Amino acid sequence: MTTWPVAITGLGCICAAGGTVPECLDSLYAGRRAPAHPTRFVSSHPTPFPVFEVRDYREPPELLRTSALAVQAAREAFADAGFSPEELRGLRVGVCVGTTVGSALNDEGFCRAHRAGEEPDLFPMERILNSNPAAVIARAFKCSGPCQTVVNACASGTDAVGLAASWIRGGICDVTIAGGADELGRITYHGFISLMITDDSPCKPFDRDRKGLNLGEGAGMLVLESEQVRVRRGARARSFVMGYGSACDAYHLTAPQPDGVGLRQAVAEALSCCAVAADQVSFVNAHGTGTPDNDRVESRVLAELFPGVPYHSTKGYTGHTLGAAGGIEAVFTVACLERGLIPASAGFENADPELAGEPLRSNREVAGGFALSQSLAFGGSNSVLLFGKGDAA
Amino acid sequence: MTRLLVKGIGVAGAFGTGVESFQNALAEGRVTVGSIDVATGEGVQTVPAYRADTAGLEEFVPKRALRRVDHYSKLALLGSYLALKDAEMLGADLGRIGLVIASGYGATATTYAFLDSLISGGDNCASPTHFANSVHNAAAANVAITLGIRGPSLTVSQFDMSVPSALVSARQWLAEGRVDAVLFGAIDEVSELVAYLQHRRCGPRHAVSMVPFDAGSESSIIGEGAAFLVLTRDEGGPAYCGIDSVATGNIFGGELSLPDDALLLLGADGRSELARRYLDAVPAGGKAACYTPLYGCMPAAAAFDLAAAALALKSGRAFASPAGPSLFAPGKGDVSRICSLRLAGPSEYATVVMSC
Repeated sequence: MTTWPVAITGLGCICAAGGTVPECLDSLYAGRRAPAHPTRFVSSHPTPFPVFEVRDYREPPELLRTSALAVQAAREAFADAGFSPEELRGLRVGVCVGTTVGSALNDEGFCRAHRAGEEPDLFPMERILNSNPAAVIARAFKCSGPCQTVVNACASGTDAVGLAASWIRGGICDVTIAGGADELGRITYHGFISLMITDDSPCKPFDRDRKGLNLGEGAGMLVLESEQVRVRRGARARSFVMGYGSACDAYHLTAPQPDGVGLRQAVAEALSCCAVAADQVSFVNAHGTGTPDNDRVESRVLAELFPGVPYHSTKGYTGHTLGAAGGIEAVFTVACLERGLIPASAGFENADPELAGEPLRSNREVAGGFALSQSLAFGGSNSVLLFGKGDAA
Repeated sequence: MTRLLVKGIGVAGAFGTGVESFQNALAEGRVTVGSIDVATGEGVQTVPAYRADTAGLEEFVPKRALRRVDHYSKLALLGSYLALKDAEMLGADLGRIGLVIASGYGATATTYAFLDSLISGGDNCASPTHFANSVHNAAAANVAITLGIRGPSLTVSQFDMSVPSALVSARQWLAEGRVDAVLFGAIDEVSELVAYLQHRRCGPRHAVSMVPFDAGSESSIIGEGAAFLVLTRDEGGPAYCGIDSVATGNIFGGELSLPDDALLLLGADGRSELARRYLDAVPAGGKAACYTPLYGCMPAAAAFDLAAAALALKSGRAFASPAGPSLFAPGKGDVSRICSLRLAGPSEYATVVMSC
């Protein structure tokens, strides 16, 4: 399958690493990270697990935090692309957002009251029904094109960007805002603890002593634009979506296929879109959650498909932001490719003799023209985005 | 725009299981509405609901293999097997097939069960099994694992617009040649949570039958089921019908553009706040039909509309609307083009135009 590149003209991000893209990059390049015990909810679990919360941000009461974070990142991305609200209204603007909790009917307080035989206030459920992330962005920016909330678990954000590029190529939209958003709450916190894949210390992706993931929250958004509109506006492409691939393991609900067959297929599809060879890839932003299984499979596939190509995980700075991860990491990949500098893989200290390679120990300059961002998810979904360098600044 | 073909249909709902049951319900214009008991502040209440039985899945999957599969995923599996069988693709190489599933609310029963484990067992005793199965794409994962589908997989949750929204991306996969076929489906389930919300929304006097276009009173009845289609690019061969176009988005101040030569298949489902928008969408003299009283009020109903349209187009005859004013009963009219229309909120719309 051959497709053509789609321009990325704007980026937006909010997560534990920072409230904007420049703030996040500063944190990444400085090696700053601040996992801490949750402050927005309490837990009686005997073991405290560190998380990466977005501090100093309060969502409006009528919206789920997930959707509010999505709007915040979208606002930065549209501004970065140079779009005013008036300009957007004259275009077919689509919205494609990945999430895991943004459309789930799972309010604990409501459930607790119902179970207790009370007649709980419907407001929490109405808020969920009014907070579909893609629909909220569409309302906030008066986007008239298709809306899609992708719920492919932890690959959602990556899939959303890949699908959005397809919509542009297909002429369905002039512009698409795409990425991922998720909030951190008690339900996901205890859910992941129950699966026994969380680390009670700061996460250590690809490290010998890794014990699991730390959860995080945030949103990462990208503005994708048709060449017709971009040329007319004279907008600079910060990067291009060169390829997208996705494939199922068809193996297990929560564990990746040990030989990474689905990930290999997704990588192959992404590279084939624009006939880019593996040795042309400058670096890979790995999923790198810090769980033993994920990092084992991923490092095996990276070593076989991209020998010698540097890779890193940025989850050491953000935590695992679930449906937002693909969006946030797409933003980071684009920004790092643009700057020609990739940050060290935070939390990595000791090489694991069972893994075929190791991630970056320190920041490194890169000169190539392509970078990959990949996501592995519950349900055996594997998704990969290939980005190309944009116009010179 | 790439035209698609509908090659197979797999449906399960209150009308029964399979195309024949669905076709009979469409022809007869009636189904039996079931119910669900739900705890409320005033004791246990019985809420009318269209229920779907997944017993038919045992024709395809051993009962033993389904022990840990919840009702939501069973619905998806049943719809998938039926659609592939109908398309004569069961047992075929599925290497170039993609999987797209739309659901308004996901696995609500399992989601609630997970919360229950957290509430009743404490923070240290949350159920990992319920948590893993509560993610929206659990159904797609179970379908992929059971059928061995290794192509791309997508699950979409856009509430009422889930089905047309997902169809936009399914169509793109085919248009770009990512896959040669898409197993496209929609599922929603009736659960205690959904029933309780319906009870609170409608009050103690529940409607016993749906009157889709009554803007003056609430007559929605919650439903569940699975409606799956096997879609390919239009490269000839036997098919139910074609899908000519898919459009979805928001109208901010403008007017909805609808084809003037198509039968409008309206997604009105007894929710009074949407009834007027549907009525206003029908042009003067336009022909329209509505089949939601055969499967109930749920986001996945949009996929049942597509399946019903496909059956009507294959036979060349529209089914009569089971309820509503005479305007919405095209009766014995021939039909060669159908536009399925879904509306939500003040501005969301979707149209899917299908033809012979």
